[in-house]
Amino acid sequence: MSSIKEYLTNDHRRCDELFAAMEDAANTSLESAREMTQSFIDASEHHFQMEERVMFAEFEQKTGMTEGPTAMMRHEHMQMRNLMKQMMEALEVNNKDKFFGFSETLMILMQQHNMKEEQMLYTMAQQHLSAESERIIEMMDSMITE
Amino acid sequence: MELTGLNADQAPPISAPLRFFLTAPLFAIFAGFLIFISDASVLTSRFAPESIAIAHALTIGFLGFVMLGAMTQMLPVLAGVKIYKVKFITTFAHTLLVVGLISMVFGLYFSKQTLNSLALISLSIGFLSILFPMLFALRKVENRSPSVKAITVSLSFAIAVVLMGADLLSAYATGSFSDYHSIIANVHSVWGVFGFAGVLIIGVAFQVLPMFYVAPRFKQFCKRKVVILISVGLILWLVFNLFVPQIAYLAKIWVALFFWAFATTVWLKLNNRRRPISDVTVWYWRASTIFMTLGLFSWVFNSMINDQHIVVVSIVIGGGFILSIMMGMLYKIVPFLVWFHLNAKGYMNIPTMNEMIDKRSAKIQFVFFILSLIGFTLSYFEPSFLEYSAFLFIISMTILEYNIINPVLIYLRTIKTKPDFDMSAFTMESK
Repeated sequence: MSSIKEYLTNDHRRCDELFAAMEDAANTSLESAREMTQSFIDASEHHFQMEERVMFAEFEQKTGMTEGPTAMMRHEHMQMRNLMKQMMEALEVNNKDKFFGFSETLMILMQQHNMKEEQMLYTMAQQHLSAESERIIEMMDSMITE
Repeated sequence: MELTGLNADQAPPISAPLRFFLTAPLFAIFAGFLIFISDASVLTSRFAPESIAIAHALTIGFLGFVMLGAMTQMLPVLAGVKIYKVKFITTFAHTLLVVGLISMVFGLYFSKQTLNSLALISLSIGFLSILFPMLFALRKVENRSPSVKAITVSLSFAIAVVLMGADLLSAYATGSFSDYHSIIANVHSVWGVFGFAGVLIIGVAFQVLPMFYVAPRFKQFCKRKVVILISVGLILWLVFNLFVPQIAYLAKIWVALFFWAFATTVWLKLNNRRRPISDVTVWYWRASTIFMTLGLFSWVFNSMINDQHIVVVSIVIGGGFILSIMMGMLYKIVPFLVWFHLNAKGYMNIPTMNEMIDKRSAKIQFVFFILSLIGFTLSYFEPSFLEYSAFLFIISMTILEYNIINPVLIYLRTIKTKPDFDMSAFTMESK
């Protein structure tokens, strides 16, 4: 069984792949990118919820830190959700410039966010939650996005 | 583990990196003017004070400033550390570096010992007052990723380069040159380019390329060993230059080999990237790898002809390899910082990154820059090209300044208005 860090890092890469496929499709036409955009947004939402509802919750309970790094990461999730919403709106009105403007901003925000998680938070989570890592990964694995 | 990097309130204020970024093109324009008014025959000598003045307007003024600005922003993200009193330190170091660099350039260009002394003091204190706190902050990192290690190595080389530079400059301030002057100059320049800038670029590329372009990840061997191998080569360069200068070229080949491998790897990774977009930053990465390869080969071959073309080699490596990457980075980081800080302040309706910098004007800037670079290289052999190339360079750097100042103006204009989360906007109007 992989560690929490590996599990979530691999999921970041999966979202990156979907992001790339989405841009690839949008390059051809926004109309054809609708489905890919939705799968990217769904995958990201699933990732955010695995963290917010499972891993962050466990981490906060174990360490007592509710206002610390997890709060910051939740805030960035909100920023990303907002950009995804704006991306969808651009898609609705078929505005390619806007769409790519949002996707570019999202990409940098997302990668900066991922770096912080992979470099710091996941490592910390691994240290604090190593005993329960199998159970936590199973919970994340079986979680259904709300 | 310190988690300050994850706290928005403690992220560096936007002014910390921006003051360095916005100054950088100004020094490049300044350097362009000096090239424009200089005699081509003087600039073909590496040890002419005019050449040294211009070289430093670019290496400290552009490359140094961009790297310092970028590190204040990157340390919290890549390493999760905060620089102690970052606002004060960046303001203090920036002021001293600006004063020191202007004094140095004029001091060398017009042979003024007093200005050189002022430059010596300001530059040394300016650099060390920011490099040491950064290095100190990195000591606390528990999870030392290859990028963090590379940044630590780069900062260590930077400190050595500054100390050697101080020694070299003191010769111009006092008028007495030691027997070791040219050896120190050799080590200072090579460590500056490859140890400080080169290693930093490699360390950052490990993270940035796979993440921002969804390119294949670097091999573990590359991430773990390449910085150590380059450092060994650079230390050998010092030792050989001191004791067995006749075989110093071996260290040069060693260093060149690993940077060449890096250049090729970057090229291939860009080919295999999953993200299809090709913007000006990708063009800069590409240009950089081409110039790096050309520069490294000419650097090595130049050894066989008694290093007589070192000036042109420096143009290709310094301008083509390092300047290119720095500019590509500015085009990403400046609009993002503006967006990020405005968003954190509660502004939601912000221009997107693509709206902050006009893509066409960034591409025009790229073309002017590449043409000026080719022009500079040719003017080494055909001096009549020099003025035109300097002119192209000045135009290119002016467009760059315009391009990166635009997002900052958007920032300043926006913060004068109310943030969008101000709920008063939602109150019902009574009819």
